Amino acid sequence: MKKIKSLLIANRGEIAIRISETAKKMGIKTYGIKTSKEPNAFYLQHIDEIIDFTEVLSDIPEFLDINRIIFSIKEHNIDAVHPGYGYLAENPYFAQKCIENKIIFIGPTPDAIYKLGNKTIAKQLASTHQVPLLQGSNGNIRDSKHAKQIARKIGYPVILKAASGGGGRGMRIVEHEKDIEKMFRMAQNEADKAFSDPSVFMEKYVRNPRHIEFQVLADHHGNIIHLGERECSIQRKHQKLIEESPSVALNNELRSKMSKAAINIAKASKYRNAGTVEFLLDESGNFYFMEMNTRIQVEHPVTEMVTGIDLVEWQIRIAQGEKLTIKQQDVKLNGWAIECRINAEDVQSGFTPYLGTIEKIQFNKSKYCRFDSGITDGSMVTANFDSMLAKLICFGDTREKAIINSLNALNRLQILSIKTTIPFCKAVLNHPKFKKGEISTSFITKDMKQLYHQEPDEELIAAFWAALNHNVQLDIEDKTYVDYEKGKNMTPWLLNKRLKSL
Amino acid sequence: MMVSRSKSKKQKFISCTEKNKKYEFVNPKELYIKQGKENIPIEIVSDKQGFVYIVWKKRKYLVDIIEKNQNQYEILVNGVSYSISVESPFSYKRRKYLAKNKEASKVEKIQAPMPGKIIEFLVEENQEIKEGEPLLILEAMKMQNEIISNIHGKIKNINFNAEDTVMKDDVLIEVEK
Amino acid sequence: MDINGKTYKDFLARIERQKIQNGSEKVNSQHKKGKLHARERIALLFDKNSFEELDAFVTSATPDSGLGKIDLAFGDGVVIGYGRINGRLVYAYSQDFTVMGGSLGAVHARKINKVQELALRVGAPIIGLIDSGGARIQEGVASLSGYASIFHHNVKASGIIPQISVILGPAAGGAVYSPALTDFIFMTKDTSYMFVTGPNVVKEVLNEEVTFDDLGGAEIHAKKSGVANFIYEDEENTILGIKKLLSFFPSNNMENPPFIDTQDKIERNVEKLRTLVPDDPNKPYDIKKVIELIADKDSFFEVSEHFAQNLVTGFARLNGKAIGIVANQPKILAGVLDINSSTKGARFIRFCDAFNIPVLTLEDVPGFLPGLDQEHKGIIKHGAKLLFAYSEASVPKITVILRKSYGGAFCVMNSKNLGGDYNFAWPTAEIAVMGPEGAVSILYKKELENAKDPKQMKKEFAAKYRQEIANPYIADEKGYIDEVIDPADTRKKLITAFESLENKHIEAPSRKHGNMPL
Repeated sequence: MKKIKSLLIANRGEIAIRISETAKKMGIKTYGIKTSKEPNAFYLQHIDEIIDFTEVLSDIPEFLDINRIIFSIKEHNIDAVHPGYGYLAENPYFAQKCIENKIIFIGPTPDAIYKLGNKTIAKQLASTHQVPLLQGSNGNIRDSKHAKQIARKIGYPVILKAASGGGGRGMRIVEHEKDIEKMFRMAQNEADKAFSDPSVFMEKYVRNPRHIEFQVLADHHGNIIHLGERECSIQRKHQKLIEESPSVALNNELRSKMSKAAINIAKASKYRNAGTVEFLLDESGNFYFMEMNTRIQVEHPVTEMVTGIDLVEWQIRIAQGEKLTIKQQDVKLNGWAIECRINAEDVQSGFTPYLGTIEKIQFNKSKYCRFDSGITDGSMVTANFDSMLAKLICFGDTREKAIINSLNALNRLQILSIKTTIPFCKAVLNHPKFKKGEISTSFITKDMKQLYHQEPDEELIAAFWAALNHNVQLDIEDKTYVDYEKGKNMTPWLLNKRLKSL
Repeated sequence: MMVSRSKSKKQKFISCTEKNKKYEFVNPKELYIKQGKENIPIEIVSDKQGFVYIVWKKRKYLVDIIEKNQNQYEILVNGVSYSISVESPFSYKRRKYLAKNKEASKVEKIQAPMPGKIIEFLVEENQEIKEGEPLLILEAMKMQNEIISNIHGKIKNINFNAEDTVMKDDVLIEVEK
Repeated sequence: MDINGKTYKDFLARIERQKIQNGSEKVNSQHKKGKLHARERIALLFDKNSFEELDAFVTSATPDSGLGKIDLAFGDGVVIGYGRINGRLVYAYSQDFTVMGGSLGAVHARKINKVQELALRVGAPIIGLIDSGGARIQEGVASLSGYASIFHHNVKASGIIPQISVILGPAAGGAVYSPALTDFIFMTKDTSYMFVTGPNVVKEVLNEEVTFDDLGGAEIHAKKSGVANFIYEDEENTILGIKKLLSFFPSNNMENPPFIDTQDKIERNVEKLRTLVPDDPNKPYDIKKVIELIADKDSFFEVSEHFAQNLVTGFARLNGKAIGIVANQPKILAGVLDINSSTKGARFIRFCDAFNIPVLTLEDVPGFLPGLDQEHKGIIKHGAKLLFAYSEASVPKITVILRKSYGGAFCVMNSKNLGGDYNFAWPTAEIAVMGPEGAVSILYKKELENAKDPKQMKKEFAAKYRQEIANPYIADEKGYIDEVIDPADTRKKLITAFESLENKHIEAPSRKHGNMPL
């Protein structure tokens, strides 16, 4: 394999900038894609060479346009492509196309992407390699009788999920046997409506689970290590909002058990490059394999902060065939890191996306903080893209200190003219249960009374500011001098003609 | 015959919140907020970058007007949004009088919180609904958002069809209390 | 006052009686309804101590017509007079709901006629503050004839002095037509209504239950019927709105509009305009953002904001001078022209023309709205109104083509051959007989039929068309537009261009009046 000298970043926003930074450090020339949807985007300023997609006429969004991207890579003679997360990051067809065109795809093999991306295959892989799984129907449920039968076998509560679904739609939790038939039919209906596929499967329902994931790195020479865990339990409708590393829920014993499972999965799929194995952890310390993400994760910086390892750098080094020089015993989790996602969302009305122009953004950095941002003054938040604008990652020797540093940093982060999740993040970090580490994926719905943090007298200050501005406005209108005389002064030319025409 | 305006030097402004909480300010330009009998001064600080802060009782608040329409203001204080309508003593009375009348009106209008495309309606006309029940799915920013009912009631009207594109504040559904 | 004779005693007693008549009881009865008293409204509207009331002591001529007693209150339920608003002479009448529900009898009507005549005689704007139950039934036909004479005066003054109607309470039956004949209508939310027949009649005739609000509330008239040009939350804000509107108008059709020193630089940096219009022709943007950047800071005052939102109309200032703006709104229905937007635009342009207010047109229009509904309702006739209004207008007229300018809509939106003085285009402009997609299906019909992938081919042809045909340079080189300009220079260009047209005059052909398609 050859050394990568040039790299196309097939992504936008903060992750494009994040990748470009490491690439620059490694002396790799970066290419980026300019789209008509945000031709003046911030990430383009961080890229050496811009490939213009603004003239492209296609229904396929730019970052999903495989043919066009492959064509551009070849046209510019670029060695490799980094897909970031989302878009083509977990598309086996794209990875395959890269191989066919002798382009280095920074990520695992198409085969691994395919296998791990397919829920059924991934679970089979797990079960044959002694990785615990949630008990379930192992396939779709035939009818309500079948549903009852399986539910009895795995024990209530159970959850019904749409086979082609995601994002919480078509899901039903069933607590008692008397509801199973009704709920099954409802789940089917919903699944049919939402995804035009009524297939539904069943799983054991874990109450108040934690979301724990393990970062792994694997090279082409059979070396696999893990970089510890991340806890991403603070989520809303399966959208992660705050992540941390390590997790309070893991002791060394559990950590070693779970990491072994993670490495087993990676081995079983002949995994290469950086990947993440996601588990659910129940209240009694049982864990269950959920899925493996075959890409760099949004929340990778927390791992980087506690391990001191640049994950993107290793992604690139592995992709160019280098041997993993870090040994498992060298990996130490030092201190604590917390990531807050800054999304353009209106927390006060159900996390709805908030569109607009970011008039100004200001953040005073400090040595405990890292701010991965995809925006700058004047950036626009449009409906074309994801609402995540930036990530604020803070470090502390202990979890307590990391929380304090995060809160301080959030107070130093100011964004004008759009609503963001900053007040939400503050509310979580100030929550006594969060501070104690008593969190689960139902934290937001179960434990949070108010989803945003308010300082004392904020409403009073708002009321005052409105009154003052209104007062000033009225005064301006009252004092405006309207010069009527000017309207009466006319040149003889005009006056004459106007008079005549009447 | 002269008709003159009675104009005292005291200009009183009443700021009302969404939940009809009221705050009174006399001559806000004198930059203090009265608490009890004490006038506590306010300081307005703006920095080079254009951020404006209010300093009051040793606390610093970032303030930002994100929307303004006539006397209606939407203000972010430290990123939290507050809807404030600034009233005169008379218009405040009027507001209270109208609010009393409005209680009698029984129809709640569910408006689009943002522009987007309606993916599907989850309810039908004449259906009974509970507070917190999702009414429809609106897609914006590639995200499907559930629009939730804030009251118990019965669906009176559905004003759009699935696949329709709607603007912010369009009345999507009318719910009878 | 030193009083020594009976004359003065009577003089003062009368004033005292009038004071009692308009005392706190009456005022409070209005306040309880969330409304201000007729006199309070006048006091808010006019400069301090400037209002001079006329006919304050007249009373109804017919105390009892056999249909019931008539309140012989001083003034007969309407305050009339003149005063200064921002220093300028304005006439006004304000109906007093506390006297027989503000109902209109013969004397009441005569008083209104009086200020109408005076305003027209001296060439000053007139404002009607309306809060009336309608015709005074007790006075029978006398009150009807009163309405008729008000209408007649409205029409006589139309286009000579600005007339503004402000609905602050009910306006039912005949009462609605005076406002309808004036230039602009203001309404206050929740407390004002306008309808030809009220909910009771609707119930009796059609057996339909409707509320006052649904039938003729402020929001209905602002959004659905388009009758109300401005709506406000409360009366104080309504009155502020009237003052703001007036600041754009001359006193009469002989004068030019007034000037306000807005302190906004002519050569302000508006580079943001270069990126505001998306390259993608199908992507919406908010034209009001463009207007705000071009016009003097905070000067844009929108007219009929909630009606036919696909066309934005409003007043603004350029270097302190008033202009009227007509702009397609790509954010709503892609800015397409339909029946409502055509009539809205036409009426606005005619007002501007009558009162010497130059018109700026910002164009980004895909064409007229196609379809059965629009054709059957007569888009031909209504679209022609806009055409007529633009063509007829003799004030300075400038157009800036921002993006789309296709087909008939190109002609309609103040094209040069329709009498536009200057037509500018931004580099993003697309000027052609038809939009690319439509045009290529006709031009390349055969090729597309035989294509393997007609969709992709169509796209390619469309791109070619857009690049080669639908650009502003062909029109520029053939002289159909004056200049392709840098969007950042728009403000400066417009100020200079409008200044050059200040002395513009077009000899109107001698005729009674044109025959506008109505």
